[in-house]
Amino acid sequence: MKTPLERIRTERLFYDGATGTMLQKLGLQPGEFPETLNLTHPEMVEEVARQYFLSGADVVNTNTFGLNDLKFPGKAGEIARAAVGIVKRARETAGRSDGLVSLDMGPTGKLLEPLGDLSFDRAVSLYGEVAKAGEEAGADLILIETMGDIYEAKAAVLGAKESSSLPVLVTFTFDSSGKLLTGGTPETVAAVFEGLGADAIGLNCSLGPREMIPLIRRFREYSSLPLIATPNAGIPFVEGDRTVYPLSPDKFASVMEEIAGLGVQIFGGCCGTTPDHIRAMISRVREIPYEKPVKKERTLIAGQAEALEIGKKPLVIGERINPTGKKRFKEALKNHDVNYLMSQAIEEEQAGADVLDVNVGLPGIDEAEMMKDAVTSIQSVSFLPLQLDSSDPSALEKGLRYCNGKPLVNSVSGKEESLRNVLPLVKKYGGVLVVLPLDEAGIPATPEERIQVAEKVIRRAEEYGIERKELVIDGLTMAVSADPSFGETTLRTIRLVREQLGLPTILGVSNVSFGLPYRENLNATFLAMALNEGLSLAIVNPNSEGVMASYRAYLALSGQDDQFSSYIEAYRDVTGRELATAKTAGTEKTQEPGGRSSLFSAVMHGLPEEAKKLAKEALKETPPLELIDRELIPALDEVGRGFEKKRVYLPQLLMSAEAAKAAFEVVRSRLSGEGERKTAVKGRIVLATVKNDIHDIGKNIVKILLENYGYDVIDLGRDVPPEKIVETVVSEGIRLVGLSALMTTTVVSMEETIRELKAVRPDVLIMVGGAVLTPDYAKKIGADFYAKDAMESVRIADQVF
Amino acid sequence: MTSETPDKKEIYRYLGYRNELPDERVVRKVDAAVEKLMPRLRPKSVYLEFPLEFCGNEESPALSFAGLTVQSNALWKHLSGCTSVILFALTVGPEPDRLIRRSEVDRISDAVIYQAVSAAAVESEADRLNEELIRSYGERGFSLKTRFSPGYGDFDLAFQKDFIRILNTPKAIGLTLTEGLLMIPSKSITAVIGVYRKESMNGSETSNENPT
Repeated sequence: MKTPLERIRTERLFYDGATGTMLQKLGLQPGEFPETLNLTHPEMVEEVARQYFLSGADVVNTNTFGLNDLKFPGKAGEIARAAVGIVKRARETAGRSDGLVSLDMGPTGKLLEPLGDLSFDRAVSLYGEVAKAGEEAGADLILIETMGDIYEAKAAVLGAKESSSLPVLVTFTFDSSGKLLTGGTPETVAAVFEGLGADAIGLNCSLGPREMIPLIRRFREYSSLPLIATPNAGIPFVEGDRTVYPLSPDKFASVMEEIAGLGVQIFGGCCGTTPDHIRAMISRVREIPYEKPVKKERTLIAGQAEALEIGKKPLVIGERINPTGKKRFKEALKNHDVNYLMSQAIEEEQAGADVLDVNVGLPGIDEAEMMKDAVTSIQSVSFLPLQLDSSDPSALEKGLRYCNGKPLVNSVSGKEESLRNVLPLVKKYGGVLVVLPLDEAGIPATPEERIQVAEKVIRRAEEYGIERKELVIDGLTMAVSADPSFGETTLRTIRLVREQLGLPTILGVSNVSFGLPYRENLNATFLAMALNEGLSLAIVNPNSEGVMASYRAYLALSGQDDQFSSYIEAYRDVTGRELATAKTAGTEKTQEPGGRSSLFSAVMHGLPEEAKKLAKEALKETPPLELIDRELIPALDEVGRGFEKKRVYLPQLLMSAEAAKAAFEVVRSRLSGEGERKTAVKGRIVLATVKNDIHDIGKNIVKILLENYGYDVIDLGRDVPPEKIVETVVSEGIRLVGLSALMTTTVVSMEETIRELKAVRPDVLIMVGGAVLTPDYAKKIGADFYAKDAMESVRIADQVF
Repeated sequence: MTSETPDKKEIYRYLGYRNELPDERVVRKVDAAVEKLMPRLRPKSVYLEFPLEFCGNEESPALSFAGLTVQSNALWKHLSGCTSVILFALTVGPEPDRLIRRSEVDRISDAVIYQAVSAAAVESEADRLNEELIRSYGERGFSLKTRFSPGYGDFDLAFQKDFIRILNTPKAIGLTLTEGLLMIPSKSITAVIGVYRKESMNGSETSNENPT
């Protein structure tokens, strides 16, 4: 007899229909948890399952859609076991020994970090607990369904696979625009969940069968897995306190028959469908011949929203998130300053990168932990796919585990150790793997030898179950200054990989120019040459205008820029660019009547670019400290007083703060010596948004103002537990702490934080702010200061230091 | 469903401008934010109607609907004369939160502006849905009170949990709650809307038109 997994892979299977709809007919009230019925009314649940088996369904779900430890603390395992037992009994009473019991798992009802407050690890364990209990009780397979967030579904698949050995099916719920709640597309789902080793994927809920058709076609185009379609009985409408689904069993079945012709293997119904719908569907779909899923040869990577196909239009990978040779970056890594990494990511994205390389390797830091934090924080501000770049397998594993989407993995080589460390990770988590064609013997000198090493790696990857299409081959760029023939060797490698292996290629372009002047020029030209050989992925500095110009020109000239739209978009204004800049600057630069400098005025008017330029000029004549005291601080004060008197509003205050910040960055970089730098720092302040609170815009406003006024801010972020604040205050010897909370419910955590701080360090001073706070309330919870707005916090800090 | 541009004056009000208009650069920033944000909004809503009962007394007023008992003076007064309530939840989706977060790293003045634009947008979406409800209930001879949300006055914010559960908002519209009872996506609204018979307010007019 076939195993459940073999049946999923080789047979058409029919799932059941709605459980909730059926239970409501039997008396379940809106707002009641249906999962409770497994314990209180098992006979009711069994009857629904029995009817579905009798209607002809091969697979029937347990009544465990919303079951997890968050909703049923301490009872999830017990309920899962009971629920599996119920469906097993129904299978027996229905006389369907061929039937399969599917352990049903839906979304947790929480959003994962960084969007929400549920941690990825907790989500994995919530799903794992139910999966384990379900397998023990005798479930045949697991269905993770109605998922609206790729990241949560990834946690669910990992939970299911790490805690059970059951086959895992995953279905997603799209809106009519073809997007998941958090932005994912069918292509992204196909890329990510095939990589994660799901056994079948597809769509359920939200849409009716008719509306699902275009999305099913997209799935079929990109996925090699068996495909699942379990639509609602049409799009519901509300009538009083009831939700009504419009499609009759017959109408539902006739559209499902149409869907059967689109290469779908697993059929079922979601909300509003009944045993009659399933019976009607089965009798119609049976008439259509079964089609096996067809293997797709597409190489896909994905961020949390869109997927990108490698090997079509060449793509740019931004190389700037990497400490090599960058003092500022190394400092950020040492201080765990993820904000800096995030700003680099945004800058690269704005400059035109398609993918972001993430390399956080630095001696003396925990690279694996840093990789996790870098990946999650960068993905909180950018949708671009990532390339995880590390020689440390544990850092790659963290990156792969916590990454949202499907990343590139940089890299594996032909060395035995590398193969053994990296291949299992990619097999488990999925990812497109960069292959360095070198091994214990070193870097092969000829393209032909590089191809041989690449072939060895391909074989080994296939032995691990990683398909060939998941590999890209690195052409190995080396500095031409060491040997002028290196450039040509790399280019020929690209060509040979394309011709002989038929795989995509990648190059770290910038290496070529090492040791020579005007590197940008060499990089740009080498990039054009490599693209012409068919390079698929170019790792470059996207902030380099010359390199990006070369890339865009190549696309335009090789017919890969439809209507030249990208080229024109980027360079439309290029001839008049200098003129245009000068003109704007001229009109916006206002000379203050009191004989104030233009730097003062640029800060007043909130012009960051202008302020930066003027600060550079002013530094030629004025010492940095004097510039801070005479120009920047007075300008900030002026705006700040205006704000306090309600003549200046928050957006203007912040625009001025940004202009000042831009100028400060220039000025502070010129401070010579420890002494001057110390003078420029007035004091160190810890800022945090308290536990359970995730709205931290107010805290961030306070931060930029304090920094401008010369305070060194340690920003602990949002949802910060009291113990972390206490620990930082103690270890850093902090005198002033600023706490923010938005809601009455989170002011409780603020009070707790203050209590714990004062218990350990009675002399520490605490200022608080937030929408629901008042001076009295602040005093009541033990704060020393109440800051009604961001300027007030500056005044408080000035008073303390 | 695409969203209409919210009232600019509302946006300025959220930014703190009361009786005057922002300067030209702020106006331009607001316009740019509206242009960027509006196409990314994905408004979704869900609502259900439940019978309403008044229990308790003037001293300790309580209301009962959807299996809940709510002790609240403010809500008791607000719903007086109503026979049922609509529980209602709406979100414009996670994009505003993402744009705000991103600009907090990049340029915080933009974050404040996105904040204001999306706050105004969710309100105007809610108003639009309200008007639809007023129309459809009006056709059946009912009128609606204004929205009243958990956290207003003495209507305990903890009822958010029940709203989320009863309307099944995580599944229906993707609206979730944090441990601290914050809604995510943050640009979301939950509310109760009172329903009353038109006659109870202007009975004579109705009976003139409909002598039955």
